[in-house]
Amino acid sequence: MTLSPEMSDAQAFELVQTLLDAPESRFPLTFNSDLPRIRELFQSATRNQWDPKTDVAWDQLKPEMYTEAQRYAARLYWSRRAWSEYGAISESPSLQLRFGLENRPSDMQLFFTIRSQEEARHAEVCHAMAERLGGYIEKPVQQLFEGSVSTHGVRRATLNAEVPLEGIIAALVCTAEEIAFDVFKHLDDVTRDPVARQIVRLIMRDESRHCAFGWYFLEAICDTLTAEQKKMIENSVITMMEKVELNGYHSSWLAPENPASRAEVEADRVTYEAGLGATVEEVEKPVFVATVQRIRDQMKPLGINLPPFSHPKLGVI
Amino acid sequence: MQRVMHRVEPSLPPSRLLIERRFPLQMNVTLPEIRELYDSGKAGRWNPYRDIDWNALAPAQYDEAVRQAARRVWSRRLWVEATGLTETPALLMRFCMETDREIDSKFYLTVRNTEEAWHVECFDRLAEAFGGRIAAPADPAYQAAFNRNLHRRVMDAEQHLDSYVASFAAFEDGLELELCRIWRSHATNPVVLAVLDRVIADKERHAAFGWHYLTARAPRWTAKDRATIAVELIEHVRDTELKGYHCPWLAPEHAAAEAAADAIAADAGLGGAPRAAEEETLATYTANVREKLAELGIVLPMFESNRMRAF
Repeated sequence: MTLSPEMSDAQAFELVQTLLDAPESRFPLTFNSDLPRIRELFQSATRNQWDPKTDVAWDQLKPEMYTEAQRYAARLYWSRRAWSEYGAISESPSLQLRFGLENRPSDMQLFFTIRSQEEARHAEVCHAMAERLGGYIEKPVQQLFEGSVSTHGVRRATLNAEVPLEGIIAALVCTAEEIAFDVFKHLDDVTRDPVARQIVRLIMRDESRHCAFGWYFLEAICDTLTAEQKKMIENSVITMMEKVELNGYHSSWLAPENPASRAEVEADRVTYEAGLGATVEEVEKPVFVATVQRIRDQMKPLGINLPPFSHPKLGVI
Repeated sequence: MQRVMHRVEPSLPPSRLLIERRFPLQMNVTLPEIRELYDSGKAGRWNPYRDIDWNALAPAQYDEAVRQAARRVWSRRLWVEATGLTETPALLMRFCMETDREIDSKFYLTVRNTEEAWHVECFDRLAEAFGGRIAAPADPAYQAAFNRNLHRRVMDAEQHLDSYVASFAAFEDGLELELCRIWRSHATNPVVLAVLDRVIADKERHAAFGWHYLTARAPRWTAKDRATIAVELIEHVRDTELKGYHCPWLAPEHAAAEAAADAIAADAGLGGAPRAAEEETLATYTANVREKLAELGIVLPMFESNRMRAF
């Protein structure tokens, strides 16, 4: 199909029944705050906005202090961070759409508007960092790595009426975002470059709200869930862990061994040693393990019981 | 709190969704005017809780009939503004799913959506202050004007994206801007003025986005593209504007209560404008749009309605 003159003929579409295919019915329209803790997150995000253009001390970045190899590795690292943040711009708005279509508490829709803007800021700042280090890189150097960083099907799952929202939030927010948040906390400890560290902190501040959203939501609904629904949530989290996180979405050293992932891991090591923002297997491993254990502990009182997970580089968590 | 899982039953034909090809992921500026809107949106950020002196609204100074009218007016504005909470995320995803669309628009739309959320907060607060938000139109038949399924439409692979932007970003957001300006010119309440000042500043960017985008894309359009855009604009005016979506006096058969409330609130300086002023705004705005579209090679015809002069 050709949608517009300049569009590649390779642009394909799929015919699929989704939540979009229900007639809109927005009335009665309510904006009561049914989840006040989430409304407060929206208000807190409104108070704490920042701008990558003006709130980062870019003049303190001295690329010339680093070797060519370090700059290249850091370019790759910050470009990969930008791709990852972009995923939330491209796919997570489907959650906001679903909140509206399902008449979920308006607090959720309102919070997600600013969450998407925060993801845009993150992508913008990561791109700007890569640019200042020598240039943003538009795609993985080796195509094999695309599978680890492209998409984990959030949009598709979210628009599927058969996939319950509760499972998506438990997997995407309470699991994947929680892991991302702990990685940022860890990066704050190991990053020495002042600008890289400032960026990490600014992103981390937003991510803390993103994670809180997921837990506030789960805590608010857990008493209403049946055992079967809790099992479904468990399965969603297990899939996220096994197919996405343990496949290297946030941590390249967890990606399947191949020349592409080895190149990414090596770039991370050079970036880490330069103090420009990445981390490496030996120091991140205990952080990752602790995060998974914490998520398991936090879900247990909600009636969501996660099994042990295994990975060749981690053993059984 | 008791909540149950909600379930939406799809009953329309399956959607045709584009399959995203994410890489190469271009992030450099290619549409500087739109990047500037994104940057100015960030720089112009505001806070509905902090930046409006809500105590100055003093609703008790108005009599009951006026308060009830204002309540209905701001509830209807809320019904309109709430569209963005589902439409903008869908439009953003469509930009991301379609190959080679520019990052500047994607970044910009995230800011637009936050601004829409702040407008929702303000309009809701005004409606609540005047007696409580009204959850639906007085006449159920008027609901159809709001249930436009725009989120579905924009995600549909067959929907021409530039044409969508022409109708719903350029034309519609531009009209909302002009209506806000005319409401502001008739307002006297300090809180209503402050809210409209903020909303107008945001909507100036919303409308500018549409026109900047069309201007950037126009050199690529074929005659068929231009015809598609013209047809969809005509449909928009016929099926949305003339059905009273923005101006309820255009649909007295369904929106008489809303039109009457608008007149009372306008007279009290609470954020409306007399019918004649809105009619003039709609006619003048459409004439200006017609000229701008002609520069892009799009012919917009005159519209006739038995509710207002030809425009």
